[in-house]
Amino acid sequence: MTSLEIGFLLIGLLVGLVLFGMHIAYALLGVAFLGIWLIRGSLDLSLRMLELTAYSGISDYLFATIPLFVLMGLLVSVSNVGRDTFEVAEVLLKRVLCGLGVATVAANTVFAAVTGVSIASAAVFTRVAVPEMTRHGYKASFSAGTVAGSSVLGMLIPPSLLLIIYGVLAEVSIGGMFIAGILPGVMLALGFVIMLMALAALAPGFVFTDPEAAKSRRMDVDAGPHLTPGEILLKLVPIVLLIILVLGGLYTGFFTPTEAGGVGAFGALLIAIGRRSLDRRKLWQVMKQTGTVSVSILLLLIAASFYSRMLSIAGLPNAIQTLVVDSGFGHWGFVLLYVAIVFLMGMILDSTSILLIVVPIAAPIAQGLGFDLFHFGIITVLAVEIGLLTPPFGISVFTVHNTLNDPGTSVEAIFLATMPFILVMLLVLGIVIVAPATATLFLR
Amino acid sequence: AQESITVNIGSSHPEQNIWVYAMKNTFQPTVDKILAEKGEYQVEWAESYGGTLYKYTDTREAVQDGIVDVGMVGTVWEGSTMPLQNVTYFTPFATADHKMLIEIFDDLNASQPDLVKSWESSNMVPLSSLITDSYDVYATFPVNEMSDLQNRRLNAPGTSANWLQGTGATPVDGALTTYYTNIQTGVTEGTLSFASGILPTRVYEVAPELTRVGVGSMYFGSIAANKDFFDGLPEPVKAAFREAGKATSKAHGDYVSELAEKAMTDMQAAGLKVHDLSDEQKAAWVKGLPDIVQPWIDQTGDAGKAVLSAYFDALRERGATPLRNWDEGR
Amino acid sequence: MSESKIQEPQQAEGEVIPSFAEAPVGFLLGTVTAVLSSVGTLWIGFLMVLIVADVLGRNFFNAPITGVAEIAGHSVVAIVFLQTAAAIMQGRLTRADFLFRRIADLSPRSGAALESLFCLTGTLVFGLIAWASWDKMVAAYVRAEFFGVQGVFTVPTWPFRAIIVGGSIVAALAALYRAFYRNPLPTGQVQ
Ligand code: NA
Ligand code: NA
Repeated sequence: MTSLEIGFLLIGLLVGLVLFGMHIAYALLGVAFLGIWLIRGSLDLSLRMLELTAYSGISDYLFATIPLFVLMGLLVSVSNVGRDTFEVAEVLLKRVLCGLGVATVAANTVFAAVTGVSIASAAVFTRVAVPEMTRHGYKASFSAGTVAGSSVLGMLIPPSLLLIIYGVLAEVSIGGMFIAGILPGVMLALGFVIMLMALAALAPGFVFTDPEAAKSRRMDVDAGPHLTPGEILLKLVPIVLLIILVLGGLYTGFFTPTEAGGVGAFGALLIAIGRRSLDRRKLWQVMKQTGTVSVSILLLLIAASFYSRMLSIAGLPNAIQTLVVDSGFGHWGFVLLYVAIVFLMGMILDSTSILLIVVPIAAPIAQGLGFDLFHFGIITVLAVEIGLLTPPFGISVFTVHNTLNDPGTSVEAIFLATMPFILVMLLVLGIVIVAPATATLFLR
Repeated sequence: AQESITVNIGSSHPEQNIWVYAMKNTFQPTVDKILAEKGEYQVEWAESYGGTLYKYTDTREAVQDGIVDVGMVGTVWEGSTMPLQNVTYFTPFATADHKMLIEIFDDLNASQPDLVKSWESSNMVPLSSLITDSYDVYATFPVNEMSDLQNRRLNAPGTSANWLQGTGATPVDGALTTYYTNIQTGVTEGTLSFASGILPTRVYEVAPELTRVGVGSMYFGSIAANKDFFDGLPEPVKAAFREAGKATSKAHGDYVSELAEKAMTDMQAAGLKVHDLSDEQKAAWVKGLPDIVQPWIDQTGDAGKAVLSAYFDALRERGATPLRNWDEGR
Repeated sequence: MSESKIQEPQQAEGEVIPSFAEAPVGFLLGTVTAVLSSVGTLWIGFLMVLIVADVLGRNFFNAPITGVAEIAGHSVVAIVFLQTAAAIMQGRLTRADFLFRRIADLSPRSGAALESLFCLTGTLVFGLIAWASWDKMVAAYVRAEFFGVQGVFTVPTWPFRAIIVGGSIVAALAALYRAFYRNPLPTGQVQ
């Protein structure tokens, strides 16, 4: 058997193990260990690669942003900044069709400007939006799906961990990537809004348990929270302050994108303390939860990086590169194939691993075919983000499901509810591919 | 019939990188060519370039542990385990002639006993030396006087932070990938870097003033083979590797010259303004530096002293005049 | 809507440590993992403070902290390996269990066997990490390896390598424990 065949066989083994429910980190590590052992015929080498990955594979400043962005997300959640944003959106959008769904998207869009990881948005809005939506006649699964779906905005609208990682891998300016992400992010948010309203109008059965209740609520002036303009402003002060701190600090040069997580977390801490929503016990709980959430992501990153090294030993990246170059696909063929591959990988791998695997191979090819690397970066991140929502491994859906902790709402139901979001993402992805200006407009 | 030998070759950086370029474009083809002449052996290259197997912090471990059989080893990142090779970074303003530096280290790595021992005990065989072209200051401001550096923040990663001691400038950590954003956003006001490395990062867009200060070329590391692997090779293949190593050194030197030249042309065409620091100001910089080689001597002891003296002897033998005699009185 | 409920961060699953009398092994492992995880938690706070101090120092006092990038990078290693064991004990590792739950519903015994097999894989994997990292830890200690730059700043690497070895051993034990004490079986506890 050639190493390439072993490589493909091991991908099959991995998919099988993950489908049957093995912990994904165990499966990635175990399969990769076995793979290196088989391909290079040396147990010792497999051990050394494992050690190398466990130590230096993860010791990177970039990865330090993960717990910090998570901490920021949780602090913002505890201090009710997310809820306030949602409430304001709820009041302002009360009369809109599918108002609470649209409010979730709107609040997510604003919140995305301070958080760099989607799971933070997913966790915050699961607690805030889902109970409110179900109380008003929306299906629980649809509510959860809406939160999971709109959480992808967190990684497209800057600051964003994925844009940072792409910038590093493709060696393009991270500040530039952030600017490139703005317009596609806004397009995505608008697309979600239009889709939600269309669904509520055309397929109310998909959205509501009780369409009539939702309709009467929309017509009822007294329903939902009431806020005077003054209260609205007051509720928006913290999130605006945070946005000014994070984005303002970034663009005036007080700190780098990598440091934004740390500074943002600190800002969120000050806001939480200022709002007296944090005592020592609660702070400790938040920090412990930060640890629990981030360790499972970071462990996956180690495992995925070990796995991608195994694939590299099997010669898979080179084989793919040869395949693409020899096939003579050209500009369009290449980008379609690329998006398709990323989409498939998104089903079984986490976003960072996909970037780590594909960008070093694809970016030089893309550049050779005439793609602008910022444009290509947004294509990549959009395609990767779809994977946050696709089964069997869709981390945003898992986060919502885990945070919701409701036996009545199954993972499958949430996956199903995110399908319309995936369609919108594919549409926006298509627009971005044919119209590079959507990414590069503000760059020059 | 030809006997086929599989060689795993790889790097933490992509093939276009100055330290990797000659591996793929000279080393491999030269080995192939030499072996083809005799027709006895043939190499199957299993390539893992571009950090798909390990990242830049692991270049030594990767070759030492046999993760690759041949790899680019950046001793610059091995200040802890292979400190002797970093002598150039602790003795700045020695020479800006990078081809001379390649020649010196090809020689020292094979003849200077402490360096030979260091490679051997790290289970590696150095084949070809890697260098940078001369370091200069790329900044938002020109440096006419040393006082222009006062209270400025410059990206100066790793050991290069030492070169700013006594200048009044504050070194800020970073890497080629962070300079652009750092300068654009005002985190720093410039960087210490070299032409061939800085061109692709487009730093000149945000730091359009280059002052040639001539900190000098630096020995960066070597292309090396795993020793167990190398010792197990048939004699003709070993010879081919050694021969190809020499060709690689030559090609690397030429490539860096070519890149540095092209970089200067391109950057100036894009608006980079070039200034030269006057000799007396340069002398003031060099004189103002504290004894930065001492901590390195403290770490490396007698071996360090021997390498330092061998390096400076080699420089002078080839007609270089270091601006500071770092080896004096040790 | 009750405010306190929204504000309450979700408690990690199964965080309660059993008493020594009830389950001595569970108590011991639970305590050790909780202590390690607490250190990791504190480390995240330290990371935040370090970055903020560097940003403030650099911008307002012309005094950046040297080596933040490398210290932060190595901190990630420490944070992961200090907290992995606790995550395993609490059954918080990411997994896709849609198929598994069906199997466990149809045949609880097959589900249990499968779960044990998975957990034993975890024991094996972390055992291998500990085994593979041991030599490097000893070498790092003996040769006083460091990261950073001589004369600028240096930090020894052996404590980080020791955390990998120690954390992996405890993680392997935690996975072993979960292979025998499977309760509660993951009922949709994805991640
Ligand atoms: Na964001
Ligand atoms: Na997915």
